[in-house]
Amino acid sequence: MGVVGMSDHREFLDATLPYVDAVWQVARHAARDGLEPEDLVQETYLQAYAAFGSFQGGNPRAWLAAICLNVARSEARRRRRRPLELSGVAITDVAAGAGTRDSGPDVAELVMDSLDSQHISQCLAKLAEPRRMCIVMVDVARLTAGEAAEALGCPRGTVLARLHRGRLRLAELLAESRVSHGRA
Amino acid sequence: MDEHESLQAFLAGRLGSADARRFDEHLLECEACWQAVREDRAGRLAAQVVRLLAPPGLTDRIAFAVEVAASARSQRPPAKVLSGLGWQLADGGIAVIGVLVAMLVLLPGVRGTPAMPAAVQAVARYAQTIAPPAGPLPWQAGARRTSPTEVDPPVSVTAGGQLIVLRTWRLGGTEAVVAVSQGPFPMPAGATDASGGGMAWSSPVGKLRLYCLNGQTSELIATPVPAAELAVLAGQLQLN
Repeated sequence: MGVVGMSDHREFLDATLPYVDAVWQVARHAARDGLEPEDLVQETYLQAYAAFGSFQGGNPRAWLAAICLNVARSEARRRRRRPLELSGVAITDVAAGAGTRDSGPDVAELVMDSLDSQHISQCLAKLAEPRRMCIVMVDVARLTAGEAAEALGCPRGTVLARLHRGRLRLAELLAESRVSHGRA
Repeated sequence: MDEHESLQAFLAGRLGSADARRFDEHLLECEACWQAVREDRAGRLAAQVVRLLAPPGLTDRIAFAVEVAASARSQRPPAKVLSGLGWQLADGGIAVIGVLVAMLVLLPGVRGTPAMPAAVQAVARYAQTIAPPAGPLPWQAGARRTSPTEVDPPVSVTAGGQLIVLRTWRLGGTEAVVAVSQGPFPMPAGATDASGGGMAWSSPVGKLRLYCLNGQTSELIATPVPAAELAVLAGQLQLN
């Protein structure tokens, strides 16, 4: 790993600061256990800066997103909590939601009627981690599927499949909660 | 390509025009695929709603952290002592102090607010680990007279779009951070305006006192000494 110093930090900032918004979007959904997203973004940049000497000039956005996820996971391990996995609540909800699509109301319409960001965030948090991170990377942080694949270390086709299944599940969760609240 | 793969390719915009047209026709016939397309789009739209703009000041905070880290890592020569002042620290001591300061500065805790300009916030954050003086200050009765000594390598940072050079001075039993910039340091909310136009102001920030002299070159002192001693301390540091 190359050592970088004062003479390189400008180059690093010029190359990476344009992507702070994308890192922020990823950090908001990757930070757990009381870790503040702003702190996660800062730590991401500090680790990226430390590794900038070995960065081969690939895609900075995907590179930063991957570091952000790694930092979030390391921090979760450090805090001796479970890393980024399905929570018990999410497992229950996923199981309960299976097979409910055939005879229910129009999911897409119910989703469009319930576009409240806090509510969506709650439903997004219930998704299985791989699907959730694909949605966060592509739909929220606006990475391309290729960039998300690079950041997540999986094939592009896997990202597309998880993205699709994640969107369907998110729509289902939103529709289910809309039905349970709207008809009360 | 099976139906499921075609659906994913269609949603990802990867189908060629002929295949896309064929899949469009398929959607007219297949309720399951049509529902899947609608729900995929609804899910995508919902996910886009949770985008939040990055907090103002986050870019400055990152730039500041990186610049401090860069400064701590660089191989700088020992800090020069101002002519006629104090003694020099050994190279190793300076490096260790520099790294320690950088680590402490990077600790989370001090957050920006609309009432606290980024440049002032950066200086306060840098100085937040300085301990209050344990005894009388060098110019006070009963104190041993000593001259200010620079104890850390200078650190260059950018905050609020403002380039700032930070130097740390030891004076008696305490230290003071002197921030120098070519632009004025904006006055934070609640500051005491000594000049009537923001050219000289002072303000408490936590345990620190800030004392600012704006001019062609602006200086901002951050130190935990009592407010009444700030002007004397500024004189000791030979500002302006």
